[in-house]
Amino acid sequence: MKSIAIDTYSHLDSPLHRWDARAKLIGLFAIMLAFASIQQLVLLPLLLFLSGLAYWCSKLPWHFWRDRLRWPGRLLFLLALVLPFAGGGVEWLRLGPMAVYEDGVLALLQIATRAISILTVGLVLFGTTPFPTLISAARSLGLPAILADMVLLTYRYLFDLGSTLDTMQTALRLRGLRITRLKRSQIPVVAGLIGSLLVRSYDQSERIYSAMRLRGYGTVAQRQACLWPSRRHVWGTGMALAIAVSLLSAEWVWSVFPLV
Amino acid sequence: MHIPDGFLPVPVWVGGYAISGTALWLSLRQIDRLPNPQEGVPKASLLTAAFFVASWIHIPIPPVSVHLMLNGLMGVLLGPFAFPAIAIGLFFQAVLFQHGGLSTLGINAAVLGIPAMLASQLYRLRWRLSRRSQPSEQWGAEQWGPDLAAKQRWVTGAVAAVAGASGLLLSALVFCVLLIAVIPASVDVQAERIAIATLTVAHLPVAVVEGAMTAAIVLFLERVKPTLLQQL
Repeated sequence: MKSIAIDTYSHLDSPLHRWDARAKLIGLFAIMLAFASIQQLVLLPLLLFLSGLAYWCSKLPWHFWRDRLRWPGRLLFLLALVLPFAGGGVEWLRLGPMAVYEDGVLALLQIATRAISILTVGLVLFGTTPFPTLISAARSLGLPAILADMVLLTYRYLFDLGSTLDTMQTALRLRGLRITRLKRSQIPVVAGLIGSLLVRSYDQSERIYSAMRLRGYGTVAQRQACLWPSRRHVWGTGMALAIAVSLLSAEWVWSVFPLV
Repeated sequence: MHIPDGFLPVPVWVGGYAISGTALWLSLRQIDRLPNPQEGVPKASLLTAAFFVASWIHIPIPPVSVHLMLNGLMGVLLGPFAFPAIAIGLFFQAVLFQHGGLSTLGINAAVLGIPAMLASQLYRLRWRLSRRSQPSEQWGAEQWGPDLAAKQRWVTGAVAAVAGASGLLLSALVFCVLLIAVIPASVDVQAERIAIATLTVAHLPVAVVEGAMTAAIVLFLERVKPTLLQQL
């Protein structure tokens, strides 16, 4: 099974790798939400600049960003095929029977810039911190214990179950199963495959729960000590929050007093 | 049905987080009322991982290939853990595969999770229907005989199929209504509405497959591992 882990480069050394996980979670999440709120075209280059700067500071490799952008890139490409031609407003240019509309192009620019910028900051957040550390940070910031435990256990067994599914599918293929068009008679076969996967995971969960109980799960307080990070880390968060608030303020000012 | 980052206006994604936050709070409250809430955590987590992995199985329905959503089945098997499980599954989709997004996580969880909660309630009807089909002690045994088990299996399968299909259909409907609602005013609304209506209708055969698959999986589990069907 192809590795899909997001924290492959979390061992690198950069200011963003060294930033405390709790402080980073608050700061970068605030920036992502601020990016998602931007509508003014004049602010869009700033989004690209800020996200690019964060990625450059993180020292994450270029191909990591390119590979992760493959799927959203396809969606944006599809949107680019539709939106400029379906958008109303002023006609910009005519390509044979098709017209390219200003509003459609601008809407595409807005969506694509926001999507790429948020994705880039998200990659910086998840790519520079080991995933369990990030969930522990979220736990110490108030994520309910049940959710934190579920996220960590799901993450731990996702890859195991992925390999199990690969093996089961190979076994089915070796027995001659080829589904090119789903037939009624094949529904029980696919249902059996999914059902077996669920039964295996359920049996495994029983063993895991017994092991966790033996290690004291559910009997002692699970809450972790919440020590505040050093002033340096808090400064970073303060700066990120200031950027987020400035962007939102600029968005508001431009929507009330449009200069461009 | 994963809306990516950047597509939605602010009130929609903020509203999505508000709805999902409420649904999550209700689910966690329900979980806390269980006799041993922590007992369900490993089971729910492993099943979440299994559902996530099962969604990688592609089903060819020419001219396209679809993957199963299984949100109805998650409601059936996970009960109060269904909404948190879906939210976590979508979180992983966004983080590991960049399907969906982090700013749209709330709205995506609401679109898939609330129908799962409804499917969970729908599946509970099975017990009522099964009870109704149970013969009374005085006269039932000779009248129903071996047909009883077959009838109960039929009821189970039918309710599971409805839960599975309605889970997907409801999600598709909400998703399409949402898309129509956020179309910018300047865009050719008529053309876009036709496209979205076509998309909704295109989900009908997928809902039939999803319903049939849910019924087949539930009947498989009833035969192989009935304890899994006793909701967490």
